[in-house]
Amino acid sequence: MTETKSITGGCQCGAVRYAIDGDLHNPHICHCRMCQKAFGNYFAALVGTLRENLHWTKGHPAFFRSSEIVQRGFCKDCGTPLTFAYDHSKHIAVSIGSLDDPSIVTPEQQYGIESRLPAFAHLHELKGSRTEDDIPAEMMAKLKSRQHPDRD
Amino acid sequence: MVKIPLRAESRTGGCQCGAIRYRIDGPLGRAGICHCRMCQKAFGSFGAALVSVPATALTWARGTPGTFRSSSIVSRGFCAACGTPLFMQEDGDPDYEIAIGTLDDPNAIGAMTEQSGCESKVAWFDGLSSLPSQATADYRSPEDLERLKSLQHPDHDTDHWP
Repeated sequence: MTETKSITGGCQCGAVRYAIDGDLHNPHICHCRMCQKAFGNYFAALVGTLRENLHWTKGHPAFFRSSEIVQRGFCKDCGTPLTFAYDHSKHIAVSIGSLDDPSIVTPEQQYGIESRLPAFAHLHELKGSRTEDDIPAEMMAKLKSRQHPDRD
Repeated sequence: MVKIPLRAESRTGGCQCGAIRYRIDGPLGRAGICHCRMCQKAFGSFGAALVSVPATALTWARGTPGTFRSSSIVSRGFCAACGTPLFMQEDGDPDYEIAIGTLDDPNAIGAMTEQSGCESKVAWFDGLSSLPSQATADYRSPEDLERLKSLQHPDHDTDHWP
């Protein structure tokens, strides 16, 4: 269990914002093909909480029923994947990248490894660069973020 | 659905719900992951996994993505019906950066070559491949598995969907 007070997050454009006023549990990544396609990525990174602890403080997510027993929440204005929940469960998971501070949780499990992509194991070994190394200074000056800030 | 015969070097992909489908005719460009805070929030994850595709090689075969201007110089495409992040494109760039997980066969790209945006890299990223791991069938009954996979668009083109 992670001690959590006033945890906030939301989508990229800021149309949907949430607050979690309780414990986070089971931080994990899931490689299943459903999560890959829903997140457009190698895997989903998710952390759970009780449904009653998750409050939508601005806007509401749209939902896609990705299977008979699962709904996935997202922002219909910018697409950010936000939540994953089984219908019958009292828990709901939020996407770790949508947290205003995604460093507050550390994934502890990998699920869905039947679909894990071979390249995954080596991603962290790839040569790394910082944004300012890759984008010329004059372009950086023009790059005005339109992303919602990482706070309410 | 735009019906064009697949060439030898063609790839298809799309969003989770199948409202948006695309095809790529020709070779793919560089592939890598980006840890920048913009990609983290757009993808709700550690960051993004992207592969370059010339705009001239990309066809939207079904539907049209929604777009969000995430900065003064970048548009990001997504499915407005299910949220799947699909691409980012810098203004004036002849290439799209396609979200690798949206390819019907995300293995069918060349070698991943780089990590970018490392100023925002989450500390837990490097340890992910060492975490304990389970297959879905290890923790789901066969009945649950059947109900879990039923509504996602299949990893190939369809004449009609759903």
